Amino acid sequence: MPEPSDPGDEAVPVSERIKGAEPGLIALLDEAEQTWRGRSERPGWRPFEDAFPTFYQFTNRPR
Amino acid sequence: MVSPSWTGMRGIAQVPSYVIMQPTTLCNLDCGYCYLPLRARDLRMPVPVAEAVAATVNAWAAVAERFSVVWHGGEPTSAGRAALADLMAPFDGVEHHIQTNATLVDDEWCEFFAGRGVRVGISVDGPRELTARRVARDGRPAYGQIMRGVEALRRHGIPFAALCVVGDPRPGLAAELYAYFLDLGCYALGINVEEREGVNVRDTAFPGAAVRAFWAELTGAWRADPRIELREVEWALRYMGATRAGTDDELLPRRIDPIPAIGYDGSVVLLSPELAGFSDPRYGDFSSGNVLRRPLREIVAGVAAQPDGWIGEYLTGVEACRASCPYFGFCGGAHAANRYFEHGRFDGTETDHCRNSKIRLLEGVLDYARAE
Repeated sequence: MPEPSDPGDEAVPVSERIKGAEPGLIALLDEAEQTWRGRSERPGWRPFEDAFPTFYQFTNRPR
Repeated sequence: MVSPSWTGMRGIAQVPSYVIMQPTTLCNLDCGYCYLPLRARDLRMPVPVAEAVAATVNAWAAVAERFSVVWHGGEPTSAGRAALADLMAPFDGVEHHIQTNATLVDDEWCEFFAGRGVRVGISVDGPRELTARRVARDGRPAYGQIMRGVEALRRHGIPFAALCVVGDPRPGLAAELYAYFLDLGCYALGINVEEREGVNVRDTAFPGAAVRAFWAELTGAWRADPRIELREVEWALRYMGATRAGTDDELLPRRIDPIPAIGYDGSVVLLSPELAGFSDPRYGDFSSGNVLRRPLREIVAGVAAQPDGWIGEYLTGVEACRASCPYFGFCGGAHAANRYFEHGRFDGTETDHCRNSKIRLLEGVLDYARAE
């Protein structure tokens, strides 16, 4: 079981830590949403993982 | 504690969203971390292989919103424009992508890409000193040639993505890399922390704290100037946003994309193209068939319906990840090639790649946010 696998990992599962996010994460996510909204207004733009099929290393892309 | 509720990545999809085509095994470079076993040999894909693949792919593409054919695995431009044009010709209604080291890209190649709407991804690892392991066959650095290719793409206004291999993830490096790629002008960037796979057997057990600090620093660099679509960090942020919204279980695909990789000779390796060209007494050559003898749709559907051999073992491994790893909802399970090349089998769980590129990524982004 990989958690905790690094010094400094908290005992709380990562999903719980995200849900209990501190203001820093909330602000970061808000800014990311703004960035994504801005991109979506560009003609012809597609979500980045759709433009990047070598993404197989990450998401195993399709729905 | 592990969430028991992840519902994605169960079994293998009968239809992929893209295929990978190997027009030649040859690469004109000899990079220090390359996993390809046949890159010094020029084994060419004959047109009948492309025709056989297209017979299935064109039907898939006709009913898909989009379908990609990715030319990769060896340096595709080494095959030459005429050969690549002949191989692309049978395809209809698809989007072509090429992953290239850019060293052979010139005005003629740019006209080729533009004329066919080919989407371009280049491979470069940062400034000259960080790209030092990208070398020609005579050992000379390839950086100058890569930059000439980039200049050609710029001259022709061809957008390009970039893949960057990081062999020494550590604090201090990420900001330098991100600034470099901003200047380079790529629209998207993927960071591949070096992996131990194929013929690359370098130890990739990097210090965890350094890797986390690398990702944290990269997050900050992106936040300061998010012009580049930064694959890993943005996916982590998307996952975090979905977790907070309670929709995280919808992010993973319902079924695993089989990702057919078609070798030069028509052999089909599913799930991890890095396995192509290898064999093992336990698993054979990892091939699920050959398009010259059986239609690709039958090969894929057959495996999806009855996954056995190494693929069945891999699916057991995915379930082990689901059952044991709190990061499964973000990751979807360790990749087949990483399991094999690190563990020697497919039903193990956590790999160096998991640690470096999934777990420490997520934790690094959290570290950054926590410090803000």
